[in-house]
Amino acid sequence: MKIFLSFLALTLPMTGAIASDVALESTVLVERSEQMPDGTVSMTLEEPARVVPGDNLLFVLDYHNEGAEPAENFRVVNPLPDAVAFRDTNDAGAEFSVDGGEHWGALSALTITGEDGAVRPATNEDVTHVRWILDRAIPAGGEGRITFRGTVR
Amino acid sequence: MASTAMPAYAAGTLAGTTIENTASASYDGPGGATVSIDSNSVELVVDEILDVDVVSNDPGDVGVAPNEDDSVLTFTVTNGGNGPEPMVLAANASLGGDDFDPDATSIFIDGNGNGSYDAGVDTAYNAASPPSLDPDESIVVFILGDIPGSVGDGDRSEVGLTATAQTGSGVPGTVFAGAGEGGSNAVVGATGASDDDSGFYAAAVALIALVKSAVIADPFGGATQVPGSTITYTLVSSVTGSGSLPNVVISDSIPADTSYVAGSITLDGGGLTDSAGDADAGSYDGSAIAVDLGTVAAGTSNTITFQVVID
Repeated sequence: MKIFLSFLALTLPMTGAIASDVALESTVLVERSEQMPDGTVSMTLEEPARVVPGDNLLFVLDYHNEGAEPAENFRVVNPLPDAVAFRDTNDAGAEFSVDGGEHWGALSALTITGEDGAVRPATNEDVTHVRWILDRAIPAGGEGRITFRGTVR
Repeated sequence: MASTAMPAYAAGTLAGTTIENTASASYDGPGGATVSIDSNSVELVVDEILDVDVVSNDPGDVGVAPNEDDSVLTFTVTNGGNGPEPMVLAANASLGGDDFDPDATSIFIDGNGNGSYDAGVDTAYNAASPPSLDPDESIVVFILGDIPGSVGDGDRSEVGLTATAQTGSGVPGTVFAGAGEGGSNAVVGATGASDDDSGFYAAAVALIALVKSAVIADPFGGATQVPGSTITYTLVSSVTGSGSLPNVVISDSIPADTSYVAGSITLDGGGLTDSAGDADAGSYDGSAIAVDLGTVAAGTSNTITFQVVID
C-alpha cells in the first residue's frame, strides 16, 4: 500500500499517552523510486514492512500537545537503530551524539577516537543519537513535526 | 542506549534483522514536573538481497595435452547477498567461438580450502544439496574436463561456470515473497542473483618425427654392399609443436643378414652401452637397439647412430 506524505497527517492515528498531555508519534517511511512509462522517475514514500540495505528511510516524529497547558522545555531524542546510518535532517537545530548519548553537539564538532588512539572527525555514519530541543513552549493544542533521514546499512 | 558496532558486510545489514525505531521526549508539564514520554515503536524487517559473483582464478589459459583427463579450471564463487544462500552450480562446456569442447566435465568444491584441486579430498558438487554460503563467504570451485585426443596444438576451449542463488534469480528487484532469511522477502540484487565466468584450456600438442639414413663403408674403402661392409644408421628424432612428449623411446630392429656391432650406439655424439640394466639410455636386446629419451620437450632434436655389419 502506498501512502503519499501529504495524506499522512490525516491518515495516521494519533496515539495519546495516558499519563501525559503530549503525544509523540513515530513513523518510518521508505523512499521508493519507480521508473514511469514516460521515462521519468517517480519518487514515492511508502510505509514499509520490509526494507533492503541501501533503502532511504524518512523518520517522521509528530508531536501534539493535547493538554490544556503549554509544554515547556520540550526535547525529543531518537536513538538510531544499529542498522541505520544517519543521512540528514530538515532541522538545523538538531544536535548529535556519536557515543551513545553521552556527549552532544553539532556533528562537525564531534570526533571519533579509533582503537589505535587516532582521532578523526565524526561523520554521518557515526551518529548514534539525534535530539531536538525546542526553543519555545508547545502551546495547548499545538503540534509539530520533525523529520530526519537515514539509510539502511 | 549504547550503539553496538554492526558487522560490516559488503551487502549490508543481514537479512532478517529487525530495525526498531522508538523516539522519546521530555518536557516540563503543569506544576513544573518533568514528564517523559516514548513514541510508538516502528519495526521494519531487512529483506534478503540475492547476489552472486563468479570469477575465474586461472591467471591465463590452462595448458592441457590430448587425452588428458581431469584437467582443472578454478573459479571463486562469492555470496554477495546479506543472507545465507545455497548456490546452484553449472558447467557449460559447449560455449561457441572456441576450437574444441572437453568430452566430459564435472564440478568439485574445494573441501580443504587450499585453493587447488586435490583428487580424493575435494568433494564432488551435489546438485541435490548445493553448497550454502554465508554473506560475503567465498568458495573455490573446480571444473574438471577430459580433453579429446583429436585436439591440435594451440587449440583453445572455453568452459563457463554459472552460479545461481537457489532461492531465485532474474531481473534485479524481483521479489520472492517470504522466501528470504527469517521469513523476510528475498529480493534479486544488482547481479540478477546469477553470475558466470569462463576459464580456458589451451592444448599443447607435441609431434615427433623420425628420419633414418644409412652410410655404407666396405672393407676396401668404398661404399659397396658386400659381406663385411659396415652400415652406419643415423636416426634423427625431432619433437615439434609445444609442450613435451613423455616416455619417448627410439628403437630400431637390426636388419636381416646383418650383425649388430657391439657398443656402437651413440646419442648426440656420445657413446652408450648395450646394457638395458645400467643408467644410460642405450640398450641392445639381441634383435633391436633402443634409446630411452624420457620426456622430450618440443623443439628438441636428438641424433642416434648405430652400426651393423653385412653378414
